[in-house]
Formats: sequence, C-alpha cells, structure tokens
Amino acid sequence: MAGKKQLKLVLDEIWCYGCYTCEIACKQEHGLPAGPRLIRIEREGPKRINGRLQMEFKLATCRQCPEPDCVEACPEHAIAKREDGIVSIDAGKCNYCLICVDACPYGALQPNPDKQVVQKCELCSHRLAEGLQPACVSHCPIDALVVESE
Amino acid sequence: MAARYDRVVKTLCAGCHCTCGVIAYVKDEKVVKVEGDPDFPQNEGFMCAKGLAITQMLYDPNRILYPMKRKGERGEGKWERISWDEALDIVAERLLEIREKYGPSSITWSWGDAAYHCSKVTKQAWLRAVGSNVRFHSDGHYCYHPMMIANNLTLGSAITSEVGPDYRNSKCILLWGGNPVASHPTRARDIMLAKKNNGAKLIVIDPRMHELGAKADLFLQIRPATDDALALGMLNIIINEELYDKEFVDKWTIGFDELKQRVQEYPVERVAEITWLPVEDIIKAARMYATIKPAALHNRLGVQLRYNNIQTMRAIACLPAITGNLDVKGGNVYHYYPPGFKSLGMLLNEIKLPDEDQGIDAQQYPLLTGSRSLALNPCHPPSVIHAILTGKPYPIRAVWALNNLVVAMEDTIEVIEALKKLDLLIGSDYYMTPTMELCDVLLPPCTYLEREEVEHLFYPNYIAARRKVIEPIAETRNERWMDFEIMKRMGLELPKEFKNEEEYHDYILKDMGITFAELKEKGIIHEPLTYRKYEQKGFNTPSGKIELKSSILEELGHDPLPHYKENPETPVSAPILAEAYPLILITGVRHVFYFNGANIQLPWLREIVPEPLLEIHPDTARQYGLKDGEMSWIETPRGKGRTKQRVKYTEALAPGVVHAPSHWFYPEKRGEEAYLEANINYVTCNDPPYDPISGAVPVRGLLCRIYSAEE
Repeated sequence: MAGKKQLKLVLDEIWCYGCYTCEIACKQEHGLPAGPRLIRIEREGPKRINGRLQMEFKLATCRQCPEPDCVEACPEHAIAKREDGIVSIDAGKCNYCLICVDACPYGALQPNPDKQVVQKCELCSHRLAEGLQPACVSHCPIDALVVESE
Repeated sequence: MAARYDRVVKTLCAGCHCTCGVIAYVKDEKVVKVEGDPDFPQNEGFMCAKGLAITQMLYDPNRILYPMKRKGERGEGKWERISWDEALDIVAERLLEIREKYGPSSITWSWGDAAYHCSKVTKQAWLRAVGSNVRFHSDGHYCYHPMMIANNLTLGSAITSEVGPDYRNSKCILLWGGNPVASHPTRARDIMLAKKNNGAKLIVIDPRMHELGAKADLFLQIRPATDDALALGMLNIIINEELYDKEFVDKWTIGFDELKQRVQEYPVERVAEITWLPVEDIIKAARMYATIKPAALHNRLGVQLRYNNIQTMRAIACLPAITGNLDVKGGNVYHYYPPGFKSLGMLLNEIKLPDEDQGIDAQQYPLLTGSRSLALNPCHPPSVIHAILTGKPYPIRAVWALNNLVVAMEDTIEVIEALKKLDLLIGSDYYMTPTMELCDVLLPPCTYLEREEVEHLFYPNYIAARRKVIEPIAETRNERWMDFEIMKRMGLELPKEFKNEEEYHDYILKDMGITFAELKEKGIIHEPLTYRKYEQKGFNTPSGKIELKSSILEELGHDPLPHYKENPETPVSAPILAEAYPLILITGVRHVFYFNGANIQLPWLREIVPEPLLEIHPDTARQYGLKDGEMSWIETPRGKGRTKQRVKYTEALAPGVVHAPSHWFYPEKRGEEAYLEANINYVTCNDPPYDPISGAVPVRGLLCRIYSAEE
C-alpha cells in the first residue's frame, strides 16, 4: 500500500525542551478551537532513575502508519493514505461518527466539535505544497522537529 | 502569499518582558496570524506559545471593549456601558474630590506586568501632576526590584537578571531559581542554542525539576529558600581552592579578604546539611562554574520570593564577580544603549515625585523607595495595603488598578477588604478579573498590536520600535492616551517634558537626534557590541569597583557581607510549628502560558493547563493519604482560610516539599467562587517579619499542611 516516499514527523528528544510552541503554532495554523490537539508533546517524569532525576519529552501525533487502522475503520471511506505517505481526511466525506477516533491506537484523530469533523496531523500538506515546512516544524525554537522522508 | 494578506507589519511582542520581533499578518483589518520575525536578532523567528496566542485575546468576545461604570454594589457584577467622555469625567471629578479631602498622596495606581509597562512613564507624570508620592507596584518587594538592589549594590547593574547573561556565547550556564522556558522563552532558546552550538554545560539549581533542569548536566535539588547558604558554600570552595580570578579580584573588587573570612563559616559539610544537597554535587557545581569559561549566570524569582533575598542575591552576585565572568563575551554583560536614549529607569528618575523620601516606608526601605532607591522606586507593597486599611501613615483612597491585585498579592481577604474600603477603584485590564469586578469605573486598554512605542531589548545595545498593526478594537484605548486625558480633565498642568503621545515618543529619542517616526522607519537601532567597559569607566558603585563588601549596606547599618538566614517559618527555624504544618510550600512557579496572572482566559492555553495542580512527591502524598488527582485543602499557619487545588503526583519535588501555582482564579466563575478556591494567596500573609532591606515576605519556603478535600 505504501508508496516510495513516506513522510512523517519526527522529534529529536535530545533537544526538545517542552516549550509547547509547536502545539500552539498548530492551533494557529489550522484555526483550531479548544479540543482538537493535532500535535502534543507528552512529558515522562520527572522520575528518579538510577539515582538521577530525569524528564523526557515525547512526540504524540499521527504516525502516518503504513497500514492505518483509521483508513480501514472509516465507514465513509473519508480517510486515505496518499502517495507521499500522509494519511488524509476528506472533511467533506466525514460524518463525525468518531469510529476512527477509537480505531487509532495513538489518539491521533481529534474531533473538532465546532466544525463537526475529525481532524488529524496531515503534515500541513498545504504548506508542503508551497515548499514550506509544517507550522510546528517552522516554529520549533531548536529545530528538534523534522519531517523525515523514508 | 501576498494575496492571502492585505498587509504584513513588523512589530514587537509585549506578551512578556522578552520584547521579541513579530510579523503580524492582516486581512480585512483583522490580524489573522502572528509569527516570530526571522530578521529580528533577539528571537530570530521564534515566537513562544503565549506569544502566538495573542490573536485569541485580541478577538475574544469576553474582552472588556467599552468603558463601563458600576451599577449596584461593588463586586455585584452589574455594569452600565458609558462613553469615554463620561468615564473620564467621572474619574477626573472623583479624583479631584479625593485629593481635596485626603491630600494628593491618597491617590495611586498599581502597576502590573501583563501589559502595562507601556504607561509607566505617563502614569508617573500623572502622579507627579497630582502631587502623590505613592508608587504601588504590587510585587516590588520580591520581584525584579530586589535583584536590582542586590546587583546594584554589588555589581553596579542588574546583570544577573534576564538581561545580563550572554548565553549564546557561553560555555557554562548556571540557572539559579529561575526557568526561562516559562518566564523568558527567548532566553530559554538561547540557552539551548548554547548547548547545541557550543556544547555549553548547564547547571540548574532549583527545588523543582523543570524543563531546563531536565536538560542540565548537573541538577541541584535544593531545599527551598536556602540558596544563600549554597552560594556562600560555593564561594568557600572557589576561594579556598583558589579557583577565582586573582588579577580581576585584586584590581576590581573591594572586600575580598572580608568575604574570604566570612565564607569560612560555610564549609561544604554544613552547607550540605542546610540545603539537603550532596557534598559532591556542591563541590562539582562550584568547580564547574569557576573553571569552565566563559560562564553566564541567571537568578530569578526562586531566590527573590523569600526573606533574606538581598543577602542571597548578593552572595550569588559574588560568583561572577570573583570568577572573572563580568562583562566578557559569554559571561554576564553590562547593558548600554545608543547614546542619548532614555531608558525606563532614566525616565522614571527624571520625572520625580514630590517628597520621595516621605513616601510610604521610604525611611524603612530606602534602597527600595525614595531618593536613594536602587530599584525602580516602588513603595513597599504590603504597607500600601495596610495604609489603605488603617489610614497610616496617611490615607490612600483611590487606586487605578492595572493588574489583578486580588490574586497577585498575599492575603486575598485583606487585599479585598482594602480594595472595598477605597473611595474610588478604577480598573484597566483586558478581562473581567476578580479585581476588575470590584471597580467603580473600567477604562479598557488596547493590546500591543493596537498601539506603538519605543522599546529596548535584552541585547545590551539595542532599541526598537513597536509599530501599530491595527486600530484599537471597539472602544479600547491606549493607556497613555487615558493618562493625558485624565490630566487634562483634572485641570492639571501637562508634563513639561511631553504634552501628548507624539511628544512622549519623541522625548525618549530626542537626545539621540532622531524622531519616533524615524525609528519606526528603521525598526531597530544598535550600537556595536563591546565588552570590559569597566576598564574605561569603572563600575557603577560608590567605590567604582565590585563591592563584595557593600559600602552602602554598611552605611545603612546592615551586614555588609552576605550571610545565610532561614525564612522565619521553616522546619529549621520553627520546629514546633512544623509539627502541625509539616510540609514545605513553594508557591507561584511560572508556566510558559501564563505571564503571571495574564492569559488564563485564552482557550488554546487553558485547555492544556486548565487548573492549578498541587505538586507533591508520591511518597509524601501517600504518607498523608492523598490520591493522585483528588482535590486537597492547603492550610498555612498564617493563612486566613484554606484553599483547594488538585493533587498531582510528581517526583519534580523532593519528599516533604510541595508546590502550589499562584495567580489562579476561574474566569468562568464570578465572585468568591472564582478567586478563593484556586488561589494560593488565600493562605499567604502580608504581615511582618519583612526582609530588613527589601521588605519581602516569603512565598517560597513556607510551612503548610494538606489534607483531602474529597468527602
């Protein structure tokens, strides 16, 4: 199913310091209300491990799965995997049944109650088309977020 | 791209003190997007989370958009929309009545941080014209001003604040009681750039593990409010191991021998016991900071919100002083502006209030307030509240509140009692906060996108123009315009320096030989960056040298050498009290979303941090029978009530230490429900003992007890 070029968002955890900029940049770019969070940075810890207090920052967003459960689950066939690997929702076809939300093992599909559609990270494909990076990537203060092409 | 927006305006953010370059995108006279300006040297295109959320505030239907006057009782929540003419006339008339009846110093304004730096100078001009000598800065005794005092006494300038560290060129960064990720986001980026580009080592000293603590090479989880002991212990190691810069110390400091003698009282074993830190970590921190050069040091709220804050920061300031890290590339750099530029401090100093030395507590805290102030000259805030309540030393009957005093100040009940006692409470804030609810008249301000002014940057040598992006929304107005209007309507003489806004901007730049219009055209002006400026001019202290032993403190009868002193109520200083209140409480750790009390109304931010979380180590929580996620009551020995926050298990704090966020209220609720339940200042106190130099009350390193609030 997967095409040759497979894009996905990757976080370099060495440099991410949990500033939330990517999350709010995403909100602004997509005009999202409170509720849908297409990208999240989750904190693990602080926890004492081998005597040392540690805290890590992990990326939680769509993994653009090779064989996405959401695509299978959608009764309206509104979700598709594109050539470039991006898993995309056709908002016109979405009937807000939320079956895909439950189907995703990563919690990446997010209901937008204002628009009555489900939304997800599509790597700002509208920006990629213009030669720009996704909003989260371009706003990251330390270049810890990158779009990788596998 | 161009078609998507009608206009693109470069301006400066005012979401916190950073003053980053912003690009605002305008479509149909609406700001549709903001981004960091990649050409701006300070932030290089970065804009933080709260900065990006400004459009939510700009267009929030809940924003106060029109002048209003109170109907019914104070705090009842009934308002009548009125015209600016009516609002300003009411304010002017009542202020004149109050001045006539109680004297000019019965009138003041409370400045805050959310947005109101823009009118500090014109408000001061108004106060001067009124004849008042009361400057009410609600956190003047424990935020920034004490650092100015301690740094000015020792180093001649506040360069261990966020403006001094030259992070990007540094090889070693020491962050002490401050987390720039939350408080100064662009500086956090600089720190991470130093790690990434220079391999800089990072040392973090904090009772609470935070984002940069997680990135630190060495994290010292200190017992709250024992930083004075740790700094003296580190000085002991650096001096006794001869790791200091002998040439600099000989040539440019006074009091080294006395300091050397003093720090002998703080051997590392004693310091380890006081601070709960391992001996080897203290030694390692001292050696790293003293030997990896250049090193940049920053200290902030964690060492200020306590008793003994001046001596603590004096001890910390001795570290860059004796290690040769002053005014060198990658160290702590002294600020200077393009010649002729009038900084905020210079402007406030020029526009002197009458009888400064007779101001509230000027005799008690001369370095805080009065003609000898080494800060921005605020009156002692608890004493202002007490003056409202008691009429002593003189009555204060009218306050223009530009911040949220109800949640920002200690002892909420007392503050509310004081505000209700006033004859006139005027309010200017973006939202109907618990403080605005108590007002008689509301004068709604505009945001930074709706106004213009001169600013300076963290960079030591830059000034820049904030450009107006759109006209003020609805009937919001620039605060400086209000100041001039009220002066006129009170029949006061307009300031000789500037008679209106245009003249105000030009006045700041006049001695530079340029106009504000020209600065707006240029955007930014800077001087070439220089180091070791002291070689020409010495340091800005009485001796012209770094004063390890302070001549001013000696003259005023204070200890001229830094020393350690416990907060008044800790398990060490008050062990019997600690049996009933066994936990150590720190309050008010900042979050990147909330600039002190601001932004709590913004949906993008609030959904991620919807309520204050009482942070507690899981072992301690279990010991007191508290479950993760349940509501708990917090009580302190001096609190007048109890407040409620949700328990969050975390190892960010040591067992026995808890953290309760400050400035919280629920904007969706009204009255007491909004501000008592979440607000930690319901259980803090505004009474003595105060720090003898700054007048600070401790809000970090208190005693408390916690118990379940679930039935």
